[in-house]
Amino acid sequence: MPNENNSALVHVEDLHKRYGNLEALRGITFEIKPGEVFGLLGPNGAGKTTTIEILEGLRQPDSGTVTVCGMDPAREKAALKERIGAQLQATVLPDKIRVEEALELFAGFYRQSASIEMLLERFGLAEKRRAFFEKLSGGQRQRLALALALVNNPELVLLDEPTVGLDAQLRRDIYALIEQFHTEGRTTLLTTHYIEEAERLCDRVAILDHGLVIAMGTPRELVQSSGKGTRLEVRLAQPVLPDRLKQLDAVVDCREAEGTYFLHAQPPARAVAALIRFLEAEGNALLDLHITPPTLEDVFVEMTGRRLEE
Amino acid sequence: MTIRLVMRTKVALFFTFLFPIIFLFVYSGLFAHGNTAAVIYFFGPVVTLNIMGSGFWGLGMQSVMQRERGSLRRYRLAPIGSGTMVLSSLLANYLLGLPTIGLLVLSAMAFFRMPLRMTLLTLLVLVTVGTFAFAGFGLTIASIANTMQEAQVYNNVIWFALLFLSGVTVPLPMLPHWIQRFAAFLPATYLVTSFQAIMVRGESLFAHGAEMLVLLVSGTSGLLFAWKLFRWEKEEKISRRAKLLSLSFVIPFLVMGVWMNARGNLTAAWADTFSLMSRASSAQEEDTTRADGNLLEDFESPQEPEILLKRWQISTDGGATAHSLGELDVVSPGAAGTTHALRFKGRVEPAPGPDHGYVAVRYTFSLTPRDGGPRGIQFEVRGDSRLFQVKIEPPTSAPAVPTLSFVPDSDWQTVRLPAAWLAKPDGSSSTGTTWVLEILADGPPGDFKLDLDELRLY
Repeated sequence: MPNENNSALVHVEDLHKRYGNLEALRGITFEIKPGEVFGLLGPNGAGKTTTIEILEGLRQPDSGTVTVCGMDPAREKAALKERIGAQLQATVLPDKIRVEEALELFAGFYRQSASIEMLLERFGLAEKRRAFFEKLSGGQRQRLALALALVNNPELVLLDEPTVGLDAQLRRDIYALIEQFHTEGRTTLLTTHYIEEAERLCDRVAILDHGLVIAMGTPRELVQSSGKGTRLEVRLAQPVLPDRLKQLDAVVDCREAEGTYFLHAQPPARAVAALIRFLEAEGNALLDLHITPPTLEDVFVEMTGRRLEE
Repeated sequence: MTIRLVMRTKVALFFTFLFPIIFLFVYSGLFAHGNTAAVIYFFGPVVTLNIMGSGFWGLGMQSVMQRERGSLRRYRLAPIGSGTMVLSSLLANYLLGLPTIGLLVLSAMAFFRMPLRMTLLTLLVLVTVGTFAFAGFGLTIASIANTMQEAQVYNNVIWFALLFLSGVTVPLPMLPHWIQRFAAFLPATYLVTSFQAIMVRGESLFAHGAEMLVLLVSGTSGLLFAWKLFRWEKEEKISRRAKLLSLSFVIPFLVMGVWMNARGNLTAAWADTFSLMSRASSAQEEDTTRADGNLLEDFESPQEPEILLKRWQISTDGGATAHSLGELDVVSPGAAGTTHALRFKGRVEPAPGPDHGYVAVRYTFSLTPRDGGPRGIQFEVRGDSRLFQVKIEPPTSAPAVPTLSFVPDSDWQTVRLPAAWLAKPDGSSSTGTTWVLEILADGPPGDFKLDLDELRLY
């Protein structure tokens, strides 16, 4: 259960890991405080899974310091596994194992375990308790994987891409379950490449790219620190050159795609006023205007020049 | 849990329980012809085949498949080590195998009247040691194979060598001598020959302590390799050095093979066991035939030519200059609507000199207490209208043996020999002693043909 001590539950410093010629981690550093939901956000190949597997004790780092629940994952594997719960990117169990049996089997490996009934109810698997693993849908399998991660009532939960491959509705179901971890004060580390997931679930986020942490903070801090500002999507009666819009007051950037102008503005109110004055002077008219706050995606694009899912 | 999962998988159930029983029927029916003595001999190979199968294709392949499928990864997150994984799979394999062995024993006893010529404890020791040894084999292969395909290649190479060169399918004494010497290096040989020596020759388990020890050593080293080289994920590849190191697995077999060959009486002991089985088998074959009322021979049951020719033998006028020839064959149809009959055919060719030639067929039989007192013999014949003579030679020499002549035509007809012919001259019991029925073609030179069937006491 949550650590009452306020010191970091996970401490990672200057972590390096190389696979042959590929440098998967190039010196990452972060801490996770007790009760916090911490996200590692980044595209595929950024080093998220390698990081989480080092924390789980499944891989050895080449160099750097790692402490999880006060233990070294490489040296104190068995003791550490008693205190953490983990969910893999893809959980594969024997085809003919029943949901209830899987929970009982894995609960049997630990010194202390959560109530199987409670887990079945909480993860919406009570009706499927007798179902074979092979008969479960993708969402049900993922819920079972999350239930297995909690089978030992861990103080730290490590979730590797918990919603990958699921449709939007199933993703939201899983978000609701993970939000309960937060309510319980359970410390959680999750990796994801979904912006929505990181923004909705995480107290703090570290953005990873090519084995480096390129930004870290709360989602709000990261977005506010972004120089890109709020996004305005504008459709006009007559076309104009994007460069002219870019010269307007408070407009940071502008590009055009299929007749829609995407402006980044800071502060947005001044940019909207400047845009209206410009259109009146030009004899042009505003057909449509959408104002959306900046996202972590914008932060990532600003820092790397690439989109997260590219 | 592994046992529960196997029980839920139809294919696994088939290969775990039904397949061994099918093999028992194949061996006992096709190889042993249902003959109890031969079933006893082949029971060891059937059990060994089953134990080998569970080690190689059950435990070994299962380990590789789980790794390839990615289902070991989830276990890796739990506080259990590779040793626990290996030991639990070994135990599950053993516990799954025990009921199958029980089923094999009960089936062999029920369907083939096989007596279990060993104590249950001896059987348990043999099965436990064998299972442990071949589990070690399967686990070692699973440890060094990086993929399912690779494991299948290793398995097939070793599997077929053990299958055909260690007495599991072909009895060792039927193999060339040099292969028998090579078989001494194969672990399946130790289990098969131990089973056979105990079941057929009545030897004690302690006489096969060396074989058991080697199997235990190989099982233990397999277990150690599996533990040390255990891989949770398919991405983890084994080093070439570890592969080479795992070759040390064969050292106990090399030592044992050299020792067995050096002992000298290796193949002789195996041949002796085989011939003990063959003799018991022939005696039982005769007894089985007699079980049908008073029938001595009807040539209906499928018989190997060598078994038939043990009781029916050709003799000719002999001498270096003889030219008469005779041979036996089984032909269709037989007498009284039966399928087969025995054909005795050949050519009478006089040798130069006063004696004319002859060809005879001699049938050796004995009477059992079940047959009661002296009784007559009858048989059905048909032929080519040539003269034949028949007589019965008693177990002890007699001054004069009566002879009966008959001329068979193309229709089946019955020839009856009086009961007095099967009475001993001294009046003692005629049971338990060996008699010879002789049918002789000694007429004028030329070809002859005689079909014989339904030889019985009346």
